[in-house]
Amino acid sequence: MRPAGDLVIVEGMIEVRQLTKRYGAKAAVDNLSFTVQPGRVTGFLGANGAGKSTTMRAILGLDRPTSGQALVNGRPYAAMRNPVHHVGALLDAAAVHGGRSAFNHLLCLATSNGIGGSRVTRVLEQVGLAGVARKRVGGFSLGMKQRLGIAGTLLGDPGILMFDEPVNGLDPEGIRWIREFMRDLAAEGRTVLVSSHLMSEMALTADHVVIIGRGKLITEASMGELAERHQRGVLVRTPQVEALSASLREAGAVVAAAEDGSLSVTGMEAAAIGELAFARGVVLHEITPRSASLEEAYMELTDDSVEYRATRINARGEAERTAA
Amino acid sequence: MSTLTATRPAAPAAQERSTSGLGRTIASEWLKLRSVRSTYMYLAAVALGVALGGLIAYLMTADFDTSPPSEQAFFGSADPGQLAVPLAQFCLAALAALAMTSEYATGMIRTSLTAVPARGRMLAAKAVVVAAVTAVAGLAVNFASYFIGAAITGDRPAPIRAFESLGDAMPSILAGSAALVVMGLLGLGLGAVLRATAGALVSITAILFVAPIAAQFLPRELGVKVFATLPMSLPAQLAGTEASPVYTQWGAAGVLALYAVVSLAAGWYLLKRRDA
Repeated sequence: MRPAGDLVIVEGMIEVRQLTKRYGAKAAVDNLSFTVQPGRVTGFLGANGAGKSTTMRAILGLDRPTSGQALVNGRPYAAMRNPVHHVGALLDAAAVHGGRSAFNHLLCLATSNGIGGSRVTRVLEQVGLAGVARKRVGGFSLGMKQRLGIAGTLLGDPGILMFDEPVNGLDPEGIRWIREFMRDLAAEGRTVLVSSHLMSEMALTADHVVIIGRGKLITEASMGELAERHQRGVLVRTPQVEALSASLREAGAVVAAAEDGSLSVTGMEAAAIGELAFARGVVLHEITPRSASLEEAYMELTDDSVEYRATRINARGEAERTAA
Repeated sequence: MSTLTATRPAAPAAQERSTSGLGRTIASEWLKLRSVRSTYMYLAAVALGVALGGLIAYLMTADFDTSPPSEQAFFGSADPGQLAVPLAQFCLAALAALAMTSEYATGMIRTSLTAVPARGRMLAAKAVVVAAVTAVAGLAVNFASYFIGAAITGDRPAPIRAFESLGDAMPSILAGSAALVVMGLLGLGLGAVLRATAGALVSITAILFVAPIAAQFLPRELGVKVFATLPMSLPAQLAGTEASPVYTQWGAAGVLALYAVVSLAAGWYLLKRRDA
């Protein structure tokens, strides 16, 4: 298909470049840049209202950026003649005409891109909806609509797939199905961008995350890097708290004593702490390297940028701030 | 990560068909229109309008037959089209508006524009489909009205019999059908501008049924001009059957065309500009 030697570096890539989208004075997306690579699931994380959906709509050419651009395979989405063959996107599974049958809904999309009815049948089988292909979509459960939406993304066998909060409202079986499905797509070498406001969900699916808050990029990292960056030091228990603390501080570590008598040590590896204790003849009861859970890392990262924060109401009906 | 090497299977070979982008989009829009129930309900309402018009024509004719000749001269025509055509104007405009507004009501518009990002092409395809459907439906309504009317009135004299012959009726049939196509395109344009079903239906009702009444309250000369410019009054002027026309036949054709062109152009401009 492509001439040999042709250097194709953008195939399967989504590039968001200094994207800004304002609604009136408010910037939903603010100078956001990131790229999404093929062969892995990229999680697009952010609190509600962080700008995830706006970014995805901009990538798909549905929303016009105030400035900056979003490119798919190196060009604007709207410039593609048969986009269904390149990108499969599911923004909102409920956004279907309830009066149409599942088959006809997909055939409407397929026909506009030169795809025939046999392919529609095939993708309906793939998502397990073959039995209800002729049923009106209005009677579908949310889970079935999600499957229908996913079938739609597969029509053109695209190299890039985008899902906006695909597990919202699904039962555990449906959630597991979507996770495995996304991982399979990435394993086939496709580009998968999936948005979520739940790190716990992304921890199970994504290889890489792009985290945004208030429309700005907070960080972009692989899951491994993220966990590494949020090391929480080493938990040490010893009956000789004073002696060990002094030795550790002497060796340059930062030591904090917890209420339960344990020590939290940062700035020194667990192995070094163990050797130091041995050398000083200090008894250790426990030595545990702690990393923040991805969830905690995510909360730390996004803490300053949460737009809508709940206040906890205490027993006497007084509002408290939830986050420390 | 080692999985970066692309191993995904090649896309299906037969993906690019020879039909043009517009051809495919028209096929898609045609399927959209015929795969929802509302289309058939509006078409059924159009057929019902013809049936009701026929019933009224029948009752009028029966009344005519039992009336003394002195009163017979003051009868109107027993033409089913007098009810069927205005009703069809509303129904077909609504059907066309829904082709646009139902996409917004359900959120389908974002899915549609993801499949066809060329927005102008999507609107053009919808316009082609709407024009075809309204042309067929319009001709059916007008011909059916003529033949039903002719069958009911038989060889009765002129006031009650609307047309001498099919040839005599032809200008009215064609002008009435053309006006229905215009109403369809106007409905589609309004749908694209307003993006809401309720708003589009209210606008269509206002243009078709409220504006003619409102025109009566305008200063006489202006009122007559406004009345003659409304879609309801244009078919007779286009057909050349209006006793005191404001517009020539060409003028009426131009005004009708303007309704379609202006509303579609406004719809196209806003569809291109606005976020979906």
